[in-house]
Amino acid sequence: MLTMNKINKIYQTDMVQTHALRDFDLQVNEGEFIAVTGPSGSGKTTFLNIAGMLEPFSSGQYLLDGVDVGRLNDNQCADLRNQKIGYIFQGFNLIPDLNLYENIEVPLRYRGIKAAERKRRVEQRLEQVGLASRAKHLPQQLSGGQQQRVAIARALAGEPRFLLADEPTGNLDSLMARQVMELLEQINREGATIVMVTHDSELARRAPRNIQVVDGQLADFTLYQGNPAAAVGA
Amino acid sequence: MSELKPIFNALRRSKVGAILLLLQIAITTAIVSNSTFIINEKIAYLDQPTGYSEQDIFSFEVMSFGKDTNFKLQAELDEQALRQIPGVVDAVMIDSVPLSGSGFASTFRLRPTGEKSKGVNASMFQGDEHVLNTFGVKVLEGRNFYQSEIMVTDNYEQYPNIALITKVMADTLFPDGDALGKSIYRGDFPLKIIGITDMMKGPWLSSERKDRSVILPFVMARKLTQFMVRTEPGRRTEVMQQIEPLMLQLDSKRVVENIQGLEQVKDGFVAPDKLTMRMLLVMVVVLTLITALGIFGLTMFNINKRTKQVGTRRALGARKSHIINYFLVESVMICIGGLVLGAVLAVLLGQQLMQHYSIAKLPLLYVGLTALGVLLISVCSVIGPAQRAANISPSVATRTI
Repeated sequence: MLTMNKINKIYQTDMVQTHALRDFDLQVNEGEFIAVTGPSGSGKTTFLNIAGMLEPFSSGQYLLDGVDVGRLNDNQCADLRNQKIGYIFQGFNLIPDLNLYENIEVPLRYRGIKAAERKRRVEQRLEQVGLASRAKHLPQQLSGGQQQRVAIARALAGEPRFLLADEPTGNLDSLMARQVMELLEQINREGATIVMVTHDSELARRAPRNIQVVDGQLADFTLYQGNPAAAVGA
Repeated sequence: MSELKPIFNALRRSKVGAILLLLQIAITTAIVSNSTFIINEKIAYLDQPTGYSEQDIFSFEVMSFGKDTNFKLQAELDEQALRQIPGVVDAVMIDSVPLSGSGFASTFRLRPTGEKSKGVNASMFQGDEHVLNTFGVKVLEGRNFYQSEIMVTDNYEQYPNIALITKVMADTLFPDGDALGKSIYRGDFPLKIIGITDMMKGPWLSSERKDRSVILPFVMARKLTQFMVRTEPGRRTEVMQQIEPLMLQLDSKRVVENIQGLEQVKDGFVAPDKLTMRMLLVMVVVLTLITALGIFGLTMFNINKRTKQVGTRRALGARKSHIINYFLVESVMICIGGLVLGAVLAVLLGQQLMQHYSIAKLPLLYVGLTALGVLLISVCSVIGPAQRAANISPSVATRTI
């Protein structure tokens, strides 16, 4: 599904060269739910950005669903992002001037899907996240948890094979965080592959597979299998 | 990909900036379309053919202060001397200088005063048989005055009974084209039309009587006289330099002044129109620039305000072209709203100008062309900022701004 071989990401300024990722290797298989943890500045977000093709990498090879991402031009990257990846942001990143329906519709419009099919998908996803009755509301009329559910609906609307979540519960209180996490787990059970960056070790333990990024490298590898409660005790 | 509806909805929800820009576009369209129309009218007015070869003609004034001068004799001596200057085609003493904004006019009718008849107001030129040749104007029908028909006088006891009139005047009074040989009346005085001349504009270019002139064979010799001289092409300057010494040599008790080429005379008369035209032109340029800057500024502001949104759109799969299209469509939408309102305002403003400043009705073509121009400027102004927006990295979506 996702293969990274010796990925390096170097940020270059006039004075300083910073290695955000260093010979980063990772294999993610279809249907996995991976939590990525690590201290601030360790390279988690850089990893997620590269995985989501939001920024280019300096060297190495990244295969997404068999496609060599390094060989794609900007338009091809945009199209691949649109088709294969659903992105969930820490700050929800809903467009404030668009209502919930229109927000969820955005990636579908970029894919050129016809209005009737867009309507079907948007309504289905709004139903799935329990906000069907709020379709005409603007994001700012919702709570943080509800906004994140809309963002998840938007990420799912394009029926991506791969969901990337950047601290999806970072801006939520614990109750809402749990609800969002349950939603992600449900989505994973339905077949989506999820990679989630989080600071929250409790949430991370609920993911069947954990990886840790330290100083731009995959420092530790912990695999929790089965019951998350067992993982807590491991 | 059609994003019209969500862009329109988004604009409706944050409308203050859009409305301000829309108003700016509307006002620009209204003012620019009316201004360009007025400018074009002024250009047509300033460039209208006058019937004279202005570069070869000049005029001057002579003010005598001698107490024992025989003005009738002096007039003839002056004219003869002027006509003998090398390079002079012809010269004439005349009471009105064309295109100068100063002269004589009167009403001429088909019947004498007291009888109801058609009449028109026309400019009058009084001079001898050299008027037409000095003006460089042809007789189209009939003939010029004979020397014997000229009245040289220093009082109004006698008045001529023949006249030359312009073609426009002839056609106005005699639509059947049979003016030659007919009489027209200035008050009770009959004037037989012996010749019809080609175009020669009167002293007032802006007046409705500008194309209607009457030439009378009448030379009024007095203290203040005006002369007009036509030279061979390219020799006007050298002739003009000889005027003052020559006139003073003929009679030293006088002052020669205002020796001016005919185009300078005209420039003096049309100076306010030129000023108006320049001011309008500056206004059009400034308004257009302000609008262009407004659109540029609003788009830049929008982009800066929506950096994260653009990044998010890119992260969700927008190509660069989608982002450029988004800002272009948004700008065109505001612009079209502004243009519709501006077109209505332009017509209303045109009506007010027509009512209060006797300006012709604004043709809709001007509104249409201005609208098209404003639309083009809008599109051009937004392309740069839109491209800048398209270059925003999708990774912005994951950063805290």
